[in-house]
Amino acid sequence: MPVRRLIASLALVAVTTGAQALDDSKYPDWRGQWRRPQGVGIQWDPTKPLGRAQQAPLTPEYQALFEASLADQRAGGQGNDPTFTCIPPGMPRAMTVVFPMDVIILPEATYIIIEYASQVRRIYTDGRDFPAEYEPSFLGYSIGRWIDEDGDGHYDVLEAETRGMKGPRSFDASGLPVHADNATVVKERIYLDKANKDLLHDEITTIDNALTRPWTVMKTYRREKQPIWFEYNCMENNRHVLIGKENYYVNMDGNLMPVKKNQPPPDLKYFNQVQK
Amino acid sequence: MLYRNFMGTIALVAMLALAAGEACAFDESKYPDLKGVWHRVGAPRWDQQDRTYERAPLTPEYRAIYEANVRDQEAGRQGTDPTYTCLSPGMPRIMNMYEPMEIVVTPDTTHMLIEHIHDSRRIHTDGRTWPEEVEPSFRGYTIGRWEDSDGDGRYDTLIAETRHMKGPRSFDSTGLPLHADNKTVVKERIYLDKSNPDLLIDEITVIDNALTRPWTVVRKYRRERVAFPIWRESVCAENNNHVAIGSEDYMVSADGMLMPTRKDQPPPDLRYFPQARK
Repeated sequence: MPVRRLIASLALVAVTTGAQALDDSKYPDWRGQWRRPQGVGIQWDPTKPLGRAQQAPLTPEYQALFEASLADQRAGGQGNDPTFTCIPPGMPRAMTVVFPMDVIILPEATYIIIEYASQVRRIYTDGRDFPAEYEPSFLGYSIGRWIDEDGDGHYDVLEAETRGMKGPRSFDASGLPVHADNATVVKERIYLDKANKDLLHDEITTIDNALTRPWTVMKTYRREKQPIWFEYNCMENNRHVLIGKENYYVNMDGNLMPVKKNQPPPDLKYFNQVQK
Repeated sequence: MLYRNFMGTIALVAMLALAAGEACAFDESKYPDLKGVWHRVGAPRWDQQDRTYERAPLTPEYRAIYEANVRDQEAGRQGTDPTYTCLSPGMPRIMNMYEPMEIVVTPDTTHMLIEHIHDSRRIHTDGRTWPEEVEPSFRGYTIGRWEDSDGDGRYDTLIAETRHMKGPRSFDSTGLPLHADNKTVVKERIYLDKSNPDLLIDEITVIDNALTRPWTVVRKYRRERVAFPIWRESVCAENNNHVAIGSEDYMVSADGMLMPTRKDQPPPDLRYFPQARK
């Protein structure tokens, strides 16, 4: 009787353990919190200063739009940067990782959770193809595949492609534009630094009709092993107000203010008191 | 001989299985299968059985605040519902689940990913205790533990406790208030229905100084099993026509003009616009 119980128990162990266990040793360890390294700003190409110095390969049409954006920002406006109303930056700008990100690897998907603007990217690795139809979104639709590049039996590189974005989006806060047709395709190679496992690299190539050629930049994130996750709610202290096409500012005493010289006030025709 | 061979085979299988188990950091079979798309059952109201909240166990002070809020909402304002400017609903209201939820279980953390305002939650199950200092947040700080309540060798219930919320928060869009001291504690028991594994149950008990006693409600979520789910992005700020200027809430009309939200609402003060002063 005890032998029978032992056999039953061993068989149960074998079935239970073998049935659904995820072999996480096949995947790289990307646990922890990933932040921009100290001194790295939020411009698109982190190796170059913000603005014209990015040397973005813009088409003449989009270079002109960028110049107009810079001029508008100098005058106090927001230019082509649409995030002042707390809409998310979308892809590829999300990968600037303004606030830290969490990466969760499961066989069917890799989740990238970014606190800034509450963005959750799902990079599907379940073998699916791009669906025939899907609703465009700021983050787009990402499909990835794992690669064992050095042939050691463990995956080390996640390749991802993202399509299906919607706008308005820009590369960074300078208003560096992506094309209004939203036909952007983003290709990424994400992997740990070979010499320092606490650095994660993301080689991001953007293919966009605002650009004369695919534009590749390298983003790097540093691992925080004992993370504290904080909440960032953009709307909580956002003083920008969009009325029609005009952006205003609500100051500390709760009154509406212009953001540009000679900016017209909002039309108050729907208020009875004004009409009297 | 036959018996010895059989025993040897069994032992080998068990050893291989245990070795494989040791190599794997994450034995998924220990956890319940929570994969899929979870949809709210019923309306996003805190207590779906009490339409007017007459039975809500509010203290007299918070009953008065709630009644004032109802009158305020009847007059076109927002009362004590703070989410009209796309502020996160926070806990426990997050669990009203305004958009579908995905649950991602890992040994260290159970992630509840909800496409709404900042509703995604981390339930830490790594054995941590409460930190000495926590920066308050709308969703709070949650510690959980898995339980094998029926002793079958698999976890079936996630017990969670959430503290350190900040405000303003309300239970739902009726403005049913939580206390302004933000000392809310939320306790949850989350498990699959025994007779229907496509039904997830969250028994939520709220302990709050606006209440005369702990208040327990049961929320249910229905699973949609999809081979390749498509998660819809929801961005509250994208099409929000509410505009808060000082303590007043206005609307932006379809033609891009500022509108009052109630009768005889004063327009915003335009003192900072030289053109308006002329």
